[in-house]
Amino acid sequence: MSNKKYEQLNDLIKQYLKSFEIVKINHRTSITLELKKDDLVEICTLLKETKALNFSMLIDLCGVDYLHYGVDDWETSKATASGFSRAVQKNTIIPDPDEEYQEKRFAIIYHLLSIEKNWRIRLKTFTGNANPPTVQSVTGIWGSANWFEREAFDLFGIHFNGHPDLRRILTDYGFIGHPFRKDFPLSGNLEVFHDDLEEKVKYRPVSIISRPGVPKVIRKKKNS
Amino acid sequence: MEQRCFGVGLEKQDNDLIIEQGAGFVITSIDKLVNWARSGSLWPVTLGLACCAIEMMHSSAARYDADRFGVFYRASPRQADVMIVAGTLVNKMAPALRKVYDQMAEPKWVISMGSCANGGGYYHDSYSVVRGCDQIIPVDIYVPGCPPTAEALLNGIIELQRKIKNTN
Repeated sequence: MSNKKYEQLNDLIKQYLKSFEIVKINHRTSITLELKKDDLVEICTLLKETKALNFSMLIDLCGVDYLHYGVDDWETSKATASGFSRAVQKNTIIPDPDEEYQEKRFAIIYHLLSIEKNWRIRLKTFTGNANPPTVQSVTGIWGSANWFEREAFDLFGIHFNGHPDLRRILTDYGFIGHPFRKDFPLSGNLEVFHDDLEEKVKYRPVSIISRPGVPKVIRKKKNS
Repeated sequence: MEQRCFGVGLEKQDNDLIIEQGAGFVITSIDKLVNWARSGSLWPVTLGLACCAIEMMHSSAARYDADRFGVFYRASPRQADVMIVAGTLVNKMAPALRKVYDQMAEPKWVISMGSCANGGGYYHDSYSVVRGCDQIIPVDIYVPGCPPTAEALLNGIIELQRKIKNTN
């Protein structure tokens, strides 16, 4: 977005959304609004229906899991000429299914575009500590949200209230778990194989062990 | 030799007369003829699962022209002799792949194309990827590469022809 457009949009946002409690994050010429999840549908409707803003298109909707946010796999300061001695094994946290989640664990991000005005905006909302994490669906506002929300449900286990057909979209039939959650094991729980005796494709517990990824650093020795 | 193939009626247990007249020679020659015919008309079922399929298309397009080996891609497993598994095989696809393989008429062969089909490749550790299509179906030829070039796939086809010619 050009600077002029950005200023214009900035002013309009201030004007129309002043009654809501919003954290506005501006990165140079892009705008992110962090909203409370109870205001979500109201703000989305307003952004779409207001002629001056006219966000007619939902470009993308995605989930984020902030469980390991800011946690490093290894300390780069400990690297030697022969590479990292070992990579740190991640401690997978498996939360109790009945327990509440951290307040800022799951977020939903919406990318909006106004075709007429040619500007974009990003919305972000945290799902709070509810289990399962739940937000209101925006399928009633943008039809394209339907499959995006199914995807976020499939991969993160986030529920969307008011979605017409909330079921898995990508993972295997009968899949258990939500693979993009940070506490989901990388190699999963089941693998498929063909049983030659029964002549059937069957499942069995995963047979490989997850290895920590060790980056190899090759440096020339100084005195050689 | 299989029941359905060219040499039906020339099998030892059924026809003693031929054995007396030197059937060994006749059978061997028919095997050679049959193998020549089979290896010269390998019709693969198109099973493009990922980017390897692009290279598979290249191998059959004008520059590499797999047609000159008698390789014509068929859209139906019923008409195919060889299955080229081109790309990442995921858990969800595995039963479908097996079904397609089971639908192919005997004799049938399998070429596993690319790292992912050979052993999971880049996605070996993934929760959703089969660690090699040989977990699901028996494989005759493994073509390495990520993706293998069209030449590599052609080499795999030639190797398979050689394998067929050397059977019996």
